[in-house]
Amino acid sequence: MTTSSSSPVLAARLDAVTKSFGVGSGAVVALDSVTLNIERGRFTAIMGPSGSGKSTLMHIAAGLDSPTSGRVWLGDTEIGALDDAALTRVRRDRMGFVFQSFNLVPTLTAWENIVLPFELGGRRIDDSQRAWITDLCHSLGLGDRLNHRPHQLSGGQQQRVAIIRALATRPEIIFADEPTGALDSRTGREVLTLLADACARFGQTIAMVTHDPIAASYANRIVVLADGSLRHDIGQTSAAEVSALMLSLEEAA
Amino acid sequence: MSRLDTADNRASSPAEYRSTGARGGAGKSRMRLRDYRASMIVAALSAAFGVALVIGTGVLSSAISAHQLAGEHDSVRITVLIVSAVFFAIAVYVSAVVTANTVATVIAGRVREIALYRLIGADSSRLRRGIAREGLVCAALGAVFGTVPVVIAGLIIVPMLVDSRVLPDIPYQVLDPLLKAPLMITVAMGYLASWVGSQRVSQVTPIQALTVAAADPTRPVARGRRVGATVLLIGGLLALLGGVVLGLVSPLGVLVGLVGGVLSFSGIVMFAPVLMPALLRLTGGWMGRSPASRIAAANAVRYPERSARSMVGIVIGVTLVSMFAVASSSYVQMMIGIADEQPEYAEGMNQILTMTLAIFSGLFGFSALIAAVGLVNNLALGVIQRAPELGLLRTLGFTTGQIRRMIVAESAQMTLVSVGFGLVLGTFYGWCGAQATLGAQLGHGLVTPAIPWGVFGIILALAILVAIGASLAPSRRATRGSAVAALAAD
Ligand SMILES: Nc1ncnc2c1ncn2[C@@H]1O[C@H](COP(=O)(O)OP(=O)(O)OP(=O)(O)O)[C@@H](O)[C@H]1O
Ligand SMILES: [Mg+2]
Repeated sequence: MTTSSSSPVLAARLDAVTKSFGVGSGAVVALDSVTLNIERGRFTAIMGPSGSGKSTLMHIAAGLDSPTSGRVWLGDTEIGALDDAALTRVRRDRMGFVFQSFNLVPTLTAWENIVLPFELGGRRIDDSQRAWITDLCHSLGLGDRLNHRPHQLSGGQQQRVAIIRALATRPEIIFADEPTGALDSRTGREVLTLLADACARFGQTIAMVTHDPIAASYANRIVVLADGSLRHDIGQTSAAEVSALMLSLEEAA
Repeated sequence: MSRLDTADNRASSPAEYRSTGARGGAGKSRMRLRDYRASMIVAALSAAFGVALVIGTGVLSSAISAHQLAGEHDSVRITVLIVSAVFFAIAVYVSAVVTANTVATVIAGRVREIALYRLIGADSSRLRRGIAREGLVCAALGAVFGTVPVVIAGLIIVPMLVDSRVLPDIPYQVLDPLLKAPLMITVAMGYLASWVGSQRVSQVTPIQALTVAAADPTRPVARGRRVGATVLLIGGLLALLGGVVLGLVSPLGVLVGLVGGVLSFSGIVMFAPVLMPALLRLTGGWMGRSPASRIAAANAVRYPERSARSMVGIVIGVTLVSMFAVASSSYVQMMIGIADEQPEYAEGMNQILTMTLAIFSGLFGFSALIAAVGLVNNLALGVIQRAPELGLLRTLGFTTGQIRRMIVAESAQMTLVSVGFGLVLGTFYGWCGAQATLGAQLGHGLVTPAIPWGVFGIILALAILVAIGASLAPSRRATRGSAVAALAAD
């Protein structure tokens, strides 16, 4: 492992990150000195039982929450050193987000939601970006739905719009927290295939929090958290094996 | 869904967006008319009030001057204008409180949406600017809606009054250039109040978009604000009492007392987020022990800031009306006391004072009306924002009747508590005012506060009407449609 703060192959890096909530005897240690490198161009799943610290890990990696101790990088940028305005720009220009629900602004149409990050950055959408977004929309069967508002779309369609928005700016990393948590298994599979495809075809880096073994089986790498520590770090694994691993963790607990 | 812009008419495919490019609604959550209805009504009322005062005082001073020497017109006009400017300023202040509170309530209901914007990369100052701009547009529209009918009415009524010889037959200038002043002040008020009310946007963190239950947006009153409020309150009360004491020997006491009154009342308004919930908690039991009333009482204190926001306008309005009523009744009472010596003098005084009391109560009452709009709106927004929760109660077995009673109880409790508090404050301030003004004239020291029961009764009756009116529409909306649809509402 390198000790340099910058590495061309790392999209994100957590170094000895500890996070505790509360103080004194009521304090909860959500993350206990976690060190994790997320490589560029890979689809990494973060797994673990409920309460193991998955969401906390993602929030800290994305600069949404600050660690109690330890350091966090996005590419070459140390996130902990940034002020709110700089963090806002980093989120807008270099990260994408997809989460379980309420991904879309209810008052904007699907298309307006997708181009929102561009608008916020005051960037024009050039022709190649427009072609890329339109292509994504059509290949996902949303072509005729772009003028609809979120409440007129099914949960799966909403989730696809959110993923297109996350992919549209080609961010350095997409963070996804239980992106299939609110979907039925078929729609969930579609969404996961979409994420895996983006990774395979365009080299999109993705970090996805999930507790669903099937979802994790789409990733190239699975890291497993338990009680705020990293327990396993494995390559692509079938859903059955992941299930067995999770069961063994739960029994040990 | 009504919206102010024309998004619905926009191009329908991504290719057609080419021409508009990636601009337009950047970073603003699109304006929803319903959310800002109260801001518009309030702007309309305040502009209408200001315009009516300008026209009314213009016509009145022309009429008065017609009986007097030429040249005195201006001085009459200026005196009357100053008095009406004070009333307009009060109305604008109450409007600003209502507008800022409306904006804050809208934002509290949109925490997740704002957090989502922040997550995707909008900075909060841009969101705030967007909201302030929306406030400006609302206030401008409202001001125009409020002005036009009053001006038209003026153009029709003044010639009618001349025809019927109520007014002397001289030229009147209804379309006074001064009419611009209330319009511009109202619009500026809308912008500034929206900016102040949008402060909460900067407290929304992006992480709130990711947490399943949107965090409770309320926070304890900030330390700085608490200290400031305490200083104002204590300093103000000391000045007020100083004014009362000074009033025993000098008529200047009333000026000191006035400053103290303004300061201490500002302190009370700043303490509203702590004070109002405390009062609600004290009175929570009065509504009964049924599940509906228990939940209603809990609701009223669950969002202390929202309740305080709804109530503070009413407290201000009622305090003003009742303060004036108490002060002038005390004055009347004192005059009656003197009447033993000069019966016919007191008789005339009494009549003039009763009329002044009626007119001034009406002028203060206008501010109370604006405050009532704020309360009604905040209750309605609260019910809309709680739609999923009300849906849950219905699936759990609450009947529509119980839901309605719950909303009515909530509304009644909040209205009655704010009116009661306003009456107590008004009585106190009114007595202080009367004492500071009259103490020196009275040989024997203390003025007994006279309670104008008639005015209090009218205030209470109006308050009950407001409480019922405020809860009718929302309770109907809350129980309309299926419980499941309400549950799913975002
Ligand atoms: N804001 C907070 N305040 C206090 N404790 C918290 C907070 N957020 C998380 N925790 C605690 O930190 C621990 C880790 O929480 P986290 O949300 O990261 O778990 P998770 O792995 O995402 O669980 P799940 O699968 O249920 O979403 C839990 O014990 C939780 O109670
Ligand atoms: Mg979680």
